[in-house]
Amino acid sequence: MTHTFIIAQRVLNQLKGDRRFLTLSLIAPLIIIYFLKLLFDTFPPFVDVKSYTIPISAFIVHFLSFVLCAILLVQERTRGTLGRMMISGFSKTSIIGGYTLGYFGLATIQAITALAESIWLFNLNYDTKTVVLLFMVIWLLAIVSVMLGIFISTFAKHEGHVIPFVPLIILPSVFLTGLIIEPTGLPTWAEIIGKCLPLHYAVNIVHEIIKPEYKIADTLVDFGILTGYIFVLLALASLTLKETE
Amino acid sequence: MTEVCVGFPLHEHFVSVDRKVAPNSLTAHTLNIIANAENDSKQIYKPFSYFYSMNAIEIENLSKNYGKLHALKNMNLDVPIGTIYGLVGPNGAGKTTLIKTLVGSLRPSSGFAIVLGLDPLKDKWKLRKQIGYMPQSPALYDDLSARKNIMFFGKAQNIPDLKKRTDEILSFAELSSRSNDKVETLSGGMKKRVSLCCALIHNPKIIFLDEPTAAIDPHLKMQSWILFRKLAQTGVTIFISTHLMDEAMFCDKVTILRNGEILAVDTPQRILQRGKTKLKIFVNNEENISIIDSTSENLADELKKFGLEKNISSIELHSDNIEDVILSIIREKEKEEKS
Repeated sequence: MTHTFIIAQRVLNQLKGDRRFLTLSLIAPLIIIYFLKLLFDTFPPFVDVKSYTIPISAFIVHFLSFVLCAILLVQERTRGTLGRMMISGFSKTSIIGGYTLGYFGLATIQAITALAESIWLFNLNYDTKTVVLLFMVIWLLAIVSVMLGIFISTFAKHEGHVIPFVPLIILPSVFLTGLIIEPTGLPTWAEIIGKCLPLHYAVNIVHEIIKPEYKIADTLVDFGILTGYIFVLLALASLTLKETE
Repeated sequence: MTEVCVGFPLHEHFVSVDRKVAPNSLTAHTLNIIANAENDSKQIYKPFSYFYSMNAIEIENLSKNYGKLHALKNMNLDVPIGTIYGLVGPNGAGKTTLIKTLVGSLRPSSGFAIVLGLDPLKDKWKLRKQIGYMPQSPALYDDLSARKNIMFFGKAQNIPDLKKRTDEILSFAELSSRSNDKVETLSGGMKKRVSLCCALIHNPKIIFLDEPTAAIDPHLKMQSWILFRKLAQTGVTIFISTHLMDEAMFCDKVTILRNGEILAVDTPQRILQRGKTKLKIFVNNEENISIIDSTSENLADELKKFGLEKNISSIELHSDNIEDVILSIIREKEKEEKS
């Protein structure tokens, strides 16, 4: 456990030292959400843009957390520090744990800022309970994205290898998870693929809790599945991150 | 495999070695050398490397294949404790593969390796406490300072009083004045020294250095070797790979490697003796060329043919250096394979 904290501390130190990376990962979602506002302002008044705002903000955080985490971990591999960490005595569990914990903070800040900006820009009037739940969804999705980034990084030998995974994993989320259109209208196979993607459950929860009257109990299954993704991806990352070639 | 013969209690290796020595197995000559070494702390490493008392590494029939590529071919090797052991060979010879196998980051296809009496795969956690590894690339965090890098890898080993140890190791590598600078601002040679510090922070018994002097200038290269020798004097076994053939002379023992195969194992002095000397004697401006073995006796015999007559106008001697000898060993093997 101590080793996990040591790695998490190092990740945080690195993030603190790399101001360009830190600024980019915090400012980029805010700029993209602002562009979204500009786009939605052009829509006719009968389009309910508010139901798209939070899910799209969640998707932006999901996308950036995944790409940035995957690239940073691949950098560890190409630089040789990942191998060195293992030979120095850090276990792969502590490396994955340390990275998750290190990004935990960043994911939290990303979730708070993205949600705050969306509420402010789109003038969304949600009560405190709803805002807290919305934060939890985005935050959980950000953690899932970090885990996904760690898992995918094990298949990449250099940073360029991460790019093909973006259209393969992230872009289907846009079309198949209910972010833009209801997945019930899709062919069954496409609907099944959509249900395999974590964004599907995040979108489900958001759509549920932005209804004027909602029950938390109706979101519990989706919350459970989203949390389950964290543990499944953690297990997969532990299996694929090899100490010995 | 190898019985312990001798050691003396100046380093923890020696303590354990000493216990296994039967008193009557020590000859007067042996004791004399030990006594001399104890009087001269600078010479501590010599009796260690001289007696090859216990092997730090033992390799038997080790092979590593990547599909059809045979990176290591049925390799057998013993590395005595306390030596600077050189692994010399051209690029692609299998040096990095061998080092990675010994530190437990590669699984051999067949055969086995024992490092400090431990299996690099089965006993990896025990072994990693006792070995240091400096990879070919510096493998450092550029945006952290030299000190933070060293301390980070030190924390993996739970070193007591890590700060003090970091100061010591920085001073050893003559990096104290730049210790708080980010690694990205350091020169290539300095980065290599920071990397060495990371590998040494936990006081390992054996250190694996993968091409530590590649791509650094000759002056820094020499400084690095002085540093390695200083380290060896403390009793640490140094297993070092290099593609720079001339560096073989700085090692206590050398293995020449090509295409995953061992071509020669010997001390650099004895490898050098395999070289030839080209002797050109001009008698009345007439050139006489002889190729002789690089030993003084052969040279004397060759000169005797000409006596000391006054008409010898000049003598030119070109003896093979270690680089020439190693390259000729490699070329011979290439020829043999072609034929």
